[in-house]
Amino acid sequence: MAAAHKIRQVQLVGRKIRQLRKQHHLTQTELSHRIGIQQSDLSRMEKGEYRVSLDTLFKILAEFNLTVGEFFDGTHADELPPREARLVRDFHDLPGEAQREVEDFIAGKRRQHQTTEPNGN
Amino acid sequence: MTGRPLADDFDSLRGLGERLVAAGRLEEALAAFERALQTAADAGDPRQAALAACNRAAVAIALDRGEAELPRQRAILMRDFDDVVSHLAAYNIARQHERAKSFKKSLFYARIALDRARLLGRQDWIAGSHNQIANVLLAESQVDEAIREYERAAAAMPATAGVPRAQLLGNLGYCRALQGRLREAFQLLSRSLRLLIRARAERFQISTRLDLCFAHLEAGRSRDARRHGLVALRLAERAGDADGIRNALYLLGEEASLRGDQAAAGDHFGRLQREFFPGAAQLPSFLMTVDVRKLINLHA
Repeated sequence: MAAAHKIRQVQLVGRKIRQLRKQHHLTQTELSHRIGIQQSDLSRMEKGEYRVSLDTLFKILAEFNLTVGEFFDGTHADELPPREARLVRDFHDLPGEAQREVEDFIAGKRRQHQTTEPNGN
Repeated sequence: MTGRPLADDFDSLRGLGERLVAAGRLEEALAAFERALQTAADAGDPRQAALAACNRAAVAIALDRGEAELPRQRAILMRDFDDVVSHLAAYNIARQHERAKSFKKSLFYARIALDRARLLGRQDWIAGSHNQIANVLLAESQVDEAIREYERAAAAMPATAGVPRAQLLGNLGYCRALQGRLREAFQLLSRSLRLLIRARAERFQISTRLDLCFAHLEAGRSRDARRHGLVALRLAERAGDADGIRNALYLLGEEASLRGDQAAAGDHFGRLQREFFPGAAQLPSFLMTVDVRKLINLHA
């Protein structure tokens, strides 16, 4: 499987949820009531110890009504090397059509790379 | 009246219902238990009516139509007919609370069900109760505790229990996949799937196939993940299993995204958003950017 560079740090997402909750001046009890889980479970989720259903995850995202760019703004700068963090920020600043063109360009480059790589699979 | 003794009618209808459940033919089983309930009600036998109501509720819950059964099952439990009826009612209430994501309530009733099963010395019900407790613990991300309960369930379960054993092996396999013990996960999940195919229990394959899809994703085996994910999606659509469809779309999108096929990933995530989260327009782009496998519990 070609390894796509998706962000996978569960602690990162948990930390971001905590940060957003505090920005919105919500206690754990208030947010957990809104999304229908126990306060103790939200606490474990913020620590990256608790897995949730897709429903719960998207209820949280909907609660803060965030785009991906906003979700990661200021969060993954310390998780990615500066050059990659800048690329992600620049990408999110582009309009939708331009983002698709960049994706097509990267997909083309990946295919080109895979076909020229001697042991590529 | 047909001229046959009423008890025979009742027992044969319940027996028919149980055979249909074992074969995964739940709609027909529901009808059989409904007729058994009517037979008992006509005969004015409250204990048999409670028994049939418990059987019917179990099937309704499996079909995701259990909300209306909850007050009736609570009333039956409160009447405390005997340990058999009380176990069945408590177990049903635990299952319905699990479906409604009220995990702590589910755990409470599952422990009552276990207590009654122990009083009766029924190994299959002891196994089922441990399995229910384990399901709730797993939904609460208490994976180690869930495994201990699944192992207790496996030890108590009769060797002949085809579909229940298959479900248990599937659940245990998912736990092992979450722990990163993929070799054990594949062994357990493959055994589960074989048993379910042998029993022709298509509906119950959905969860095991989704777990296999997840485990293959964790192992980096895209093609196998996609194969199981697509079968799970087809079966879930056929059965009208919304949770199954939702999880299949997510896993298929994740598989395509990790493989670098952004168009296919966009298709799956787009459908997931349109059908299940219409208010969350940002969902597809979020899932294209963030790999949430370590955050998601397919059994929650």
